[in-house]
Amino acid sequence: MAHDAHAHADGDHGHHIIPMPVLLKTFGGLIFLTILTVLTATQLDLGAFNVPLALAIACGKATLVIMFFMGLKYDNRVNTLTLVLGILFVLIFISFTLFDTAFRGDIGNVDTIPQEDRTRMEETLQQRDPGRAGLATSPADSLALEQNPLEETPAPAEEPAPETTEPEAAH
Amino acid sequence: MASTTTTAAPAVEHGHGDGHAHHPRFQHHFVSMEQQFDSAKLGMWLFLITEILLFSGMFVAYTVYRVWHPEVFEVASEALNPFLGGLNTVVLLASSLTVALSIHFVQKDQIQKMNWMLLLTVLCAAIFMVVKYFEYTAKFEHGLYAGEAFHPHAGYEQFNIPYARQFFSIYFVMTGIHGVHVLIGMGMFTWLYTRGLRGHFSSEWYTPVELSGLYWHIVDLIWIFLFPLMYLI
Amino acid sequence: MATVMHTDAPAEAAAHHHPEHHHPEHHYLNHEKTIWSWLSTVDHKRIGIMYAISVAIFFLIAGVLALLVRMELLGPGETIMGPDAYNQVFTLHAVMMVFLFIIPAVPGFLGNFALPIQIGAKDVAFPRLNLASWYIFMAGAALAVIAIGVGQVDTGWTFYTPYSSDGSNSVFFVTLAVFVAGFASIFTGINFIVTIHKMRAPGMTWNRLPLFVWALYATSIVQVLATPVIGITMVLLFLEKFLGIGIFDPALGGDPILFQHFFWFYSHPAVYIMILPAFGIISELVTVFSRQNIQGYTFIALSSVAIAFLGFLVWGHHMFVSGQSAVSSIIFSLITYLIGIPTGIKVLNWVSTMYKGSVWLQTPMLYALSFLFLFTIGGLTGVMVGVLAVDVHLHDTYFIVAHFHYVMMGGTVIALLGGFHYWWPKITGKMYNETLGKIAAILIFIGFNITFFTQFVLGSRGMPRRYYDYLPEFTALHQISTVGSWILALGLFMVLFYMIHSMFRGKKAPANPWGAATLEWTHCTSPPDPHNFHHTPIVTHGPYDYHALEHLYEGDGVGDGATVEAAPGQKH
Repeated sequence: MAHDAHAHADGDHGHHIIPMPVLLKTFGGLIFLTILTVLTATQLDLGAFNVPLALAIACGKATLVIMFFMGLKYDNRVNTLTLVLGILFVLIFISFTLFDTAFRGDIGNVDTIPQEDRTRMEETLQQRDPGRAGLATSPADSLALEQNPLEETPAPAEEPAPETTEPEAAH
Repeated sequence: MASTTTTAAPAVEHGHGDGHAHHPRFQHHFVSMEQQFDSAKLGMWLFLITEILLFSGMFVAYTVYRVWHPEVFEVASEALNPFLGGLNTVVLLASSLTVALSIHFVQKDQIQKMNWMLLLTVLCAAIFMVVKYFEYTAKFEHGLYAGEAFHPHAGYEQFNIPYARQFFSIYFVMTGIHGVHVLIGMGMFTWLYTRGLRGHFSSEWYTPVELSGLYWHIVDLIWIFLFPLMYLI
Repeated sequence: MATVMHTDAPAEAAAHHHPEHHHPEHHYLNHEKTIWSWLSTVDHKRIGIMYAISVAIFFLIAGVLALLVRMELLGPGETIMGPDAYNQVFTLHAVMMVFLFIIPAVPGFLGNFALPIQIGAKDVAFPRLNLASWYIFMAGAALAVIAIGVGQVDTGWTFYTPYSSDGSNSVFFVTLAVFVAGFASIFTGINFIVTIHKMRAPGMTWNRLPLFVWALYATSIVQVLATPVIGITMVLLFLEKFLGIGIFDPALGGDPILFQHFFWFYSHPAVYIMILPAFGIISELVTVFSRQNIQGYTFIALSSVAIAFLGFLVWGHHMFVSGQSAVSSIIFSLITYLIGIPTGIKVLNWVSTMYKGSVWLQTPMLYALSFLFLFTIGGLTGVMVGVLAVDVHLHDTYFIVAHFHYVMMGGTVIALLGGFHYWWPKITGKMYNETLGKIAAILIFIGFNITFFTQFVLGSRGMPRRYYDYLPEFTALHQISTVGSWILALGLFMVLFYMIHSMFRGKKAPANPWGAATLEWTHCTSPPDPHNFHHTPIVTHGPYDYHALEHLYEGDGVGDGATVEAAPGQKH
């Protein structure tokens, strides 16, 4: 029956004996990285970079374990493929969930006034007071100006956020 | 069209001719011990990625809540003792080494050394669980539970903030499920040890040792990520 | 005989002295006869049959529940049950159909039976794990039954929080059932992947694998990667319910939409666990009954893998109106369109396989044609509801109900029925009644369309799903749909009865009644030997190489002990 074409790519029949010094060095490396991660996390304040650094060290440790303790360096490539596939899908799970949770609420600022009405209001405003039209950045400001043209408008330029999210929400 | 030749089937002949075929552990739906071992190992790797994906759900929950409430997570993680966490990291790494060594020794037919390594692995796992026990009880005393029982008191009032409960829930669930895996591993290595004593393993056949070893390294790997995420940052 | 060589398999030959010379009737069904020999079997063929019987029972129960749902909707207001009972009935219908029928059906039954033989193996790589997976599956089923006994399960099959975390305790048993049954699915997946990688017969290269095997390979990858996530989701749901961990429950600061991400990370790929093996069956049927080599073998094989991969990137399209971010809705919607490409490639290749072929309209082919028609409707409406703006309108209406029934029932169940008829002679050694088979296939096709096409119309007019009551203007369409469900049921019961009849009174089946070229037909008796092959086959041609097959019919040894009549469909 089939021995996979790639089953013995390394020519060592999957029974490679990992030498003792390699195992001990790996262990030494792991302990070193553990101390490093504790030190960098507790003694070193890198601000936002502490998290990526700790994760990078953890990935380094994981690589050591996988390559030498689990022997993937000497093993069939199909096992490596399996592991890579698993990790890939974990990353997909995390990143695609973050596409939602990190941007949650971006659909909340939906313009309640139809686009044509907005255009009309802006035009009206432009006719009445060309100098101040640029200040009306939100529909509410525009309405306020339209209804009470003589009153002071409440500081409209400070809140440009709804304007910027509008195109995304509307289209 | 090909005619009936025998030259086209060297793999099959090899499979039956290499003497391994008569090992008592040989299962007859395989062609060779080689194929049987490779299959078991690929099966184990596939099982390991299911383990990784099982934990991935909790890592996703961690990431989501950390992104939402980073300041809460930073405060809450101060409740955990990095020394005990670091100690457990070293203990687990040591147990990974002993497992790797047990495979090294069985491949060289040094069965007695393999047994010692298996026993050391069980011991390390036990130390890990004991440390974990003290960590858990210290949290429980101060009302740091997973879920609705969460009620920090006795010097831990500073953790009584919104979303700290989520941090402790994730901490207990992740380390709890990890702990269950450690217990299962302890059971497995105790069983392997007794089989090793009865002389079941040799360089010809040690599949259970190899597969349990792979499992144990994955348990170690999960902890390698849990430790910095929970205790350090 | 030119194309096939035999090698000695000493281990096997020592144990069995070519039994067919002594007992011509010796095969896997009768070589051991006790009930215990079935319950303790590690033979993949017997495990396949145990799966077949169990999923058939669940299909029957869940099908009766579906008839009750349709009966309740025969008129507005309360017809045969109140709102609470209705909620439970549709929930149980869905949970049983999804987790206890469709997901295990094709891999567990046809996959277990055919896969090892199709690649020329004596068994799957881990026979005991295979048996264990059946027991675990049955344990999951038992928990589901307990849940029915304990009381109200009315969350729908999606178990959305906070309803599931606040509701009745029997939800616990159902979610536990899903958790347990998930392990069965994982073990089957692991077994198949390893079997395909390591157990192929000499000469069975990757591009000689039958397409059913390729489809099961893709399915297994999805099973292994996705199922653990439903496991952890269910665990977190128990913990939410009993400890209040506050991950999913908004009252405790959790996020219910996060639950939906967790749930659909599994359950969307699970849709491909359901449909991919069906694609595999259709690939077999279309080529065998067109007597023509499959068009675009590589494309069909790799499109299965592509679908398996893309299937993981689109789960958010179930959540367009859940309140997830617009960014993710847009991303998920775009990737959803991409799924149409590999699926379209498959449909085009199947159709072009039939072009200029000599199409032989036996029952399995009728199902294959039904599939092409129904699945295309199901698939295209899937692209429609993947469009953000359209989905906002159609979400949670009968349009969605119709869409996924066209995919799951019109796709998977129709393909399963086709495969069931196709492999029936191999499984039982008996032929079914072809005339009744054709009548049933046509009844099912008609009944299905009457039942579910009306639901597209209902949905587009605004009839929401999961309601036991409706406005009077929907009455006529609901009644048409209910009548359709009776026709559909009639067809399915016909299949049940003539198949049982054929088991006892059917004509004896030849080894290769369809003139197929895959190993289970060319190298196996009907029903097969307990060890599948008397000699390990050596494969020298592709799975659909019918020209190579013609040499087999002239020679002496078409497999072992296989009495082969000239294949009826062979006359060109």
